[in-house]
Amino acid sequence: MSDCGCEKARRDLEEYLRNEVCRTGHSEIREHLENCESCKDEALVATTLTDVVARACKETAPEELRDQVFARLREAQAAH
Amino acid sequence: MTATLTRERADVSPVDDISRLDWRVMDETASNDPRRDFEEQAIPFMDQLYAAAMRMTRNPADAADLVQETFVKAYAAWSTFSQGTNLKAWLYRILTNTYINIYRKRQREPYQGTIDELEDWQLGGAESTTSSSSRSAEAEAIDRMPASVVKDALQEVPEDFRLAVYLADVEGFSYQEIADIMKTPIGTVMSRLHRGRRMLREMLADYAAERGIAAAKTRSTK
Repeated sequence: MSDCGCEKARRDLEEYLRNEVCRTGHSEIREHLENCESCKDEALVATTLTDVVARACKETAPEELRDQVFARLREAQAAH
Repeated sequence: MTATLTRERADVSPVDDISRLDWRVMDETASNDPRRDFEEQAIPFMDQLYAAAMRMTRNPADAADLVQETFVKAYAAWSTFSQGTNLKAWLYRILTNTYINIYRKRQREPYQGTIDELEDWQLGGAESTTSSSSRSAEAEAIDRMPASVVKDALQEVPEDFRLAVYLADVEGFSYQEIADIMKTPIGTVMSRLHRGRRMLREMLADYAAERGIAAAKTRSTK
């Protein structure tokens, strides 16, 4: 695991997956992931974690809140 | 046409009128009704802001209050928002500020600030010692995790780390945007994000292991 670019790929994996690495770094890691099962799985865990968190955190604001906010905005405008 | 204009302008003070004129110079898409503009543009973010507020305050009543305060503050500052820039990031900045100013003072979670200073090895690692076969099983186990478990685990992650994870994973903000929202350097954002996610991953792995979900034991022995 310490040869062939795994180390760099692992270190920058999160940044790679979020498109936060420079273009050269990006293509290096992409190439590495194409050829390395182990890093590919690590990337899968990382993206799955993101998806699951995003899915779990979905909420709908209560209807009362919407009404309250509109009322506060009208008040604020009237007071202006 | 003229009649409509006159009627609309009858109920605004000269001061209002001037600010509206300025506004229109800056952006021709803005109408002359700031409240309507605000409602059209900012209110659609309510569900998202509420979801973030839920993760911050941990309860629906405080989350609703926080969102309400955020919108009131945002509306008061609406003339300072430059149209065409990132409204969502702007609203999140106000949300986060409001949260820190009001709620965090109340809660006082004393040990949290010190976690930033811990070295990586002190927090342990989840990824490096896991074998590849169990890693794809881990992805599968995470994927099947009930939302309530994921939310509970996230709630266990110390606040600054949780917020970084939330802003990145749920809202898809860039490191720079998160740095602006949390008022921290990018390096701090990255480290909070990595550590927060690692904690989360360990907790989910523990949960899966406790429930005997196949091959999901990934905790490092470091």
